[in-house]
Amino acid sequence: MKRRRPRPAPRRRTTGPWTEAHVHRLFWRAGFGARPDEAAEWAKRGRAATLRWVLEGGPQGAALVGPAPSADGKPLDPVNEWAHDGLWWLDRMVRSQRPLVEKMTLFWHDHFATNDQDTPLMLRQNRTLRRHALGSFPKLLRALTLDPAMQLFLSLPNSDKDAPNENFARELMELFTLGVGYTERDIREAARALTGFRARWTDDGFGGIYYDRERHDRGFKRIFGQRGRFDWRDVLRLVVDHPRHAPFLTTKLWEFFVAGPPSRATVRRLSAVYRASGHRIEPVVAEILDHPALYRSLDAPDMVKSPIVFVAGSLRTNGLPVSAQSLTWLLDGMGQRPFDPPSVAGWDWGPAWMSSNSMRTRFDWGNRLIEDDLLGVKTGSTQPPASPAEALEQALAATGRPWISGVTRSHLLEMATRFFDDLGPRTRPQRRSERADMLQRSLRLILLAGPDAQLH
Amino acid sequence: MRADHISVRASWGITAAAVAVAAGGCLPAGAGAAGTAVGVAEREFRISLYRATVAPGTVRFNVTNFGEDAHDLAVLTPRGRLLAISPEIRAGRRHTLTVRLRRPGAYRLVCTKLDHPARGMRATLRVRRPRR
Ligand SMILES: [Cu+2]
Repeated sequence: MKRRRPRPAPRRRTTGPWTEAHVHRLFWRAGFGARPDEAAEWAKRGRAATLRWVLEGGPQGAALVGPAPSADGKPLDPVNEWAHDGLWWLDRMVRSQRPLVEKMTLFWHDHFATNDQDTPLMLRQNRTLRRHALGSFPKLLRALTLDPAMQLFLSLPNSDKDAPNENFARELMELFTLGVGYTERDIREAARALTGFRARWTDDGFGGIYYDRERHDRGFKRIFGQRGRFDWRDVLRLVVDHPRHAPFLTTKLWEFFVAGPPSRATVRRLSAVYRASGHRIEPVVAEILDHPALYRSLDAPDMVKSPIVFVAGSLRTNGLPVSAQSLTWLLDGMGQRPFDPPSVAGWDWGPAWMSSNSMRTRFDWGNRLIEDDLLGVKTGSTQPPASPAEALEQALAATGRPWISGVTRSHLLEMATRFFDDLGPRTRPQRRSERADMLQRSLRLILLAGPDAQLH
Repeated sequence: MRADHISVRASWGITAAAVAVAAGGCLPAGAGAAGTAVGVAEREFRISLYRATVAPGTVRFNVTNFGEDAHDLAVLTPRGRLLAISPEIRAGRRHTLTVRLRRPGAYRLVCTKLDHPARGMRATLRVRRPRR
């Protein structure tokens, strides 16, 4: 399949100063945000060191650092308790010292979206996605093709030579590897090549996937203009070698990290990097994370946090643990419950996250946070602030110093200024203090869940 | 994956009113129930247990119906006496069935619908005292 391709554009790297704003942008896009102390430290250490830590991890590896998760006071039982599977993963996003690995696991969970399968199989698939998150795409694709949850979800074990099921072949081309550049006939022929898998069921439930040569169609197939006695391995090789594959996957990766589509030169460049690396993910992600476009408009973030990123991020940047089963139901209300994508096409990213119901639930989450002992305000605990600026500073310090725009800042200062307007000079000190508590709660809620908190 | 950030900005003004709207937010608390949880998946025509063995005591069967038909879950003692049965669980729904399993032994789990047990909707949960 040799084709003459235009020469790829040269690599574009971030240049200029490396500030806390850069670190915040990188840590949100490549993970789940940075605490203020992390942002200060990595701004000092510089761009190269920060990118290296994000991409390769530090001496702690993928250790989970911070308070252990629980669900309403009990340890998690991700296999047997409802919703604990999601909490288990959320905890990794909150505490892992390889946040990019968790972020990429989320990318692949959306890319190879699977649902309604047994919890142990979903957890097993999640570990597979994590193991290959930044590695070789062909290996990831092979692992997912053999993955029980995926196989059962797309009826691969029910597909044999007498009645090939096209589900997997179709999604393989449409969603997993190509998007365009194939015909219905390619799907039909690939489905024939993919026959032979069977599921074993015992009295204790699912007993594994096996291959039965007798159920495999050993005849000739014609896929993408090539003819052969293809089997499932050949199909995976053919889709990865297809000229549309590299642009398809690198564009999708780009759009996961950067607002706005990549230029054609960028797609050519990323595709060349991807092919030259032997179809590895990490070199492509490394280029994207170092690209100037990722750091565009640092003072006006232009991507909406997905619900999972929003919730995990607010815990991570405030050093709070996963602690309640209800978190999973909150994520459900926001439209992104882990292990439960709406269909094989994954979630609808972008503006779809911003339905009024979803936004309402995000505010509920903010309310939940300010009820917490750590971020909350006990009645009578706040002294009336010396100035509006001091009130805002207190609230920022208590909430992990999230980004706010200049406009929001002036609105919040105005709110703080007027908050005591109706209290006369003879108001009792206790009443003033209660009003100061209320101001703190309001400021913190807006910082944690207001419009600016939805963006990164 | 691109953000339509303009509509985010437009969607809410930063006012005290937004805070007032949000102040009522309350959500169902977690179950916090006692006992050993056993995940159970039902589909046509299988019952999968996510735990094969438990210690004697209270067991919560967290049942999910992944199938297309309605099912239920009945727990039988090793001698075949009916201990508990769930209501009908419709496709895609969940139900928790709490049962006390006092004595060690092999407890049978079945769906009682028509011929479902014969077609494969049965499983065994072993109750065993923990080794010391
Ligand atoms: Cu049944």
